[in-house]
Amino acid sequence: MKTLGRIWWIILLLFIVLYPPTLGGMSAYKSGIMIFVGIYIILAVSLDLLMGFAGQISVGHAAFFAIGAYVSGILTVKYGASPLVALIAGMALSGAVAWAVGRPLLALKEYYLAMATLALNEIIVTLIIGLQWLTGGASGLRDVPSFSVPGFSFDNHVHYYYLVWAMVLLVVASSLALVRSPFGRTLVAIHSDETAAKTFGIDCAAYKVRVYVFSAMYASLAGSLFAHYMGFLAPDDFGVLTSINILVMLYLGGIGTIWGPALGAVFLKLLPEFTYQFQDYELLLNGVILIVVLVFMPGGLFGILKSVAERVNARGSG
Amino acid sequence: MSEDILKVVDVTKSFEGVHALVDVRFGVTRGHVKALIGPNGAGKTTLLNVINGLLDPDRGHVYFRGHDVIGMAANEISLLGLSRTFQLIRLFTVNNATVLDNVMVGAHKMLKPTISSALFFRASTARQEKAVREKAMEALAFVGLEEERDTPPGTLSFGNQRLVELARSLMAEPELLLLDEPASGLNDAEVERFIELLAAIRQKGITILLVEHNMKLVMNISDEIVVLDFGKRLAEGDPAAICTDPAVIEAYLGAECGLEGGEG
Amino acid sequence: MSELSTLVQFFFSGLTSGSVYALIAVSLVIVYKVSLLICFAQGEFFVIGALTMVTLTSKGLPMPLAFVLSVLISTVIGALVERILIRPIRNSSVGNLIVMTIAISLALRGSALLVWGKESHILQPFSAGKPLHVLGATLQPQVLWIIGITVVVLFVIWFFFERTTLGVAMRACAENRLGASLMGISTQKAALLSWAWGSGIGALAGMAVAPLLFMQYSSGLMPMVKGFIAMSIGGLASIAGAVVAGYLLGIVEAYTIGLISSQFADTIVFTLLIIVLIFKPSGLFGATRSREV
Repeated sequence: MKTLGRIWWIILLLFIVLYPPTLGGMSAYKSGIMIFVGIYIILAVSLDLLMGFAGQISVGHAAFFAIGAYVSGILTVKYGASPLVALIAGMALSGAVAWAVGRPLLALKEYYLAMATLALNEIIVTLIIGLQWLTGGASGLRDVPSFSVPGFSFDNHVHYYYLVWAMVLLVVASSLALVRSPFGRTLVAIHSDETAAKTFGIDCAAYKVRVYVFSAMYASLAGSLFAHYMGFLAPDDFGVLTSINILVMLYLGGIGTIWGPALGAVFLKLLPEFTYQFQDYELLLNGVILIVVLVFMPGGLFGILKSVAERVNARGSG
Repeated sequence: MSEDILKVVDVTKSFEGVHALVDVRFGVTRGHVKALIGPNGAGKTTLLNVINGLLDPDRGHVYFRGHDVIGMAANEISLLGLSRTFQLIRLFTVNNATVLDNVMVGAHKMLKPTISSALFFRASTARQEKAVREKAMEALAFVGLEEERDTPPGTLSFGNQRLVELARSLMAEPELLLLDEPASGLNDAEVERFIELLAAIRQKGITILLVEHNMKLVMNISDEIVVLDFGKRLAEGDPAAICTDPAVIEAYLGAECGLEGGEG
Repeated sequence: MSELSTLVQFFFSGLTSGSVYALIAVSLVIVYKVSLLICFAQGEFFVIGALTMVTLTSKGLPMPLAFVLSVLISTVIGALVERILIRPIRNSSVGNLIVMTIAISLALRGSALLVWGKESHILQPFSAGKPLHVLGATLQPQVLWIIGITVVVLFVIWFFFERTTLGVAMRACAENRLGASLMGISTQKAALLSWAWGSGIGALAGMAVAPLLFMQYSSGLMPMVKGFIAMSIGGLASIAGAVVAGYLLGIVEAYTIGLISSQFADTIVFTLLIIVLIFKPSGLFGATRSREV
């Protein structure tokens, strides 16, 4: 995988740091949008590791988003735990669930796997709705406090924006490091051809579970960040439709590139801002976008950007 | 005294009533090249799959370096020193994998990469990677494809793809190399090249079990031949004996094969 | 209500939902057998069929005409979807095909949202009439319609696939592509027809049950998933299995909701699916397949 030049990282960093003071990001609304974008970038990137690299389809990734959000919400609201502890607990629980169901689930192929991941998502959501005494059920969980670490509370939305984006950069950087490493190469082998991979000593099941756990923990992180931002959780935000939303971001941006899904998340989360009157069209638009990408631009937005960049480069050096 | 690195003992396998393998029994001497020949449907690939661990037989044993590998997972058997290529090319092509990436996967068992090594022990991982990359370049040089290292394997010619597969399987430093019809689809020049490469591999001390239809290749490189027909071992012996064996001629060869023979 | 009548009530409820699940499962099986695809968008035909009929009857069309037209419209949409969106990517990876059917379901659902809005719609029962009383339990006449339609559909399916040349050829397509083309049907035509069947049956299921439910644009996901659960339990490529499993699922679900817990009925059903997928992925009626290399 080609590396994005240093210059782009710097530009990205500058944009993130300068957004609040310069581009009006000081307002609760504007920083809020970017917090949402950041959370969904984490979700999309975590799913890309599983789907784009390890090749395991998941139509239920929101299950771990839910676990992170509700563990953070419940532990801080009902048990007064510190948000940091709750966040870590959420990641631990998500990882544990992924580890427990991972091996049998990921042994399934394609359609079966898709349905099993969907079922897992539904199980988590129905449990959330059913365990009303714990989760607030369908009416939701309220009064989730702001995120805080010992000594500092992130009440200010701008502060929280920086926290979230620090997390985003961590997630993106670590995911890139992972996919460029020998571990990443192993995932590509498994994705391409498990049978051949086995003949090189690759324990496919073990590697699939590992990336599943890793990806689940990142989704959980996104969930916790979501909980502390929203202050209120409703089970509707964590169902299969959300999982499918993440899937659309993945494909729109360009599956299997890490940067692509991040781009897809930005696009799909910012688009409603400009098409507010057409809110009802959002669902149809999502479907059409996905269809167009699948048929005409399988490399997604990132693929298009890359080919444009290559053409510019070729012309420059030619 | 050379011992058998591989011993196939009474391996039997049926698929829904079809007897794919029936009491197959033979050995492969360490350091030799043994060819497994026979008509299509004789069970040759099935046998490789059993040896490799991709398929469990109904009965029988396979001893590799003294271990009974029946029931072991394919990746575990590979760790014992077994590598294999496939009849249909199985190169890794997703996520823009290059030829070099493919060959580097061959070194998996040496690296056994983990998530923590990728994220935390960056320096030592980088050093390992460098060593693996150099070794992979050597393997590519061995098959003559160093220049194609950044190419996506799907765009290579058939013959070159087979060479990449060979390079990849050598990376694992196998003691026994299983080759499943490596010459199928190759032209004469490519077959010649392949013969040279196999001879060089043999010189390194690697044992080879080779499934092949191309009798020129078989005759030029094999120390022994075993013939399979309808899942049963029909004959076993040195090339001269096999070539003149009437049963083998009738079942498969069609005529006595000289050293210039073409396809069987 | 007495003990017995309660149990009977659950049974009727189970028969109702069981019929829906059986029909959807069968529609999924037909598409799968012929084109080796599992259509994620099946639930949308369920909704489109029902809501189309609601619209047509509200515009004054007599019910039988609205019925036939709704089935036809859904069938045509299904065929168009296959022709325009599925056929071009026929040879893509399975992952891509799965995502494509997901995309189609989004697009169809989004269209339904635009056409019918977020409100719930209710359809008139097919025949006016007071509820019947059986063993102390209430039986809506519409339930008889549902079961009747299911039986007729199953008979038509049986007749088509067993007794007509076209149907037999389509079945052959599933097993042997070359043989099928010798029998006079291209795999492309068979795939198209299978989608037409699938969307038609899905629509019928929706239309039959619409008078008993509040139907809205998003009502399709659950029936589709439950249909898939039935399909998985019954054996992916078995129509008979799908029917039996569909009714089994409906009845077990009804009793679970009634006797054990209505809150966790779905949790139990989905856990059941995962268990079936893990331990007997070929379903109760499917053959176990040997490992392929």
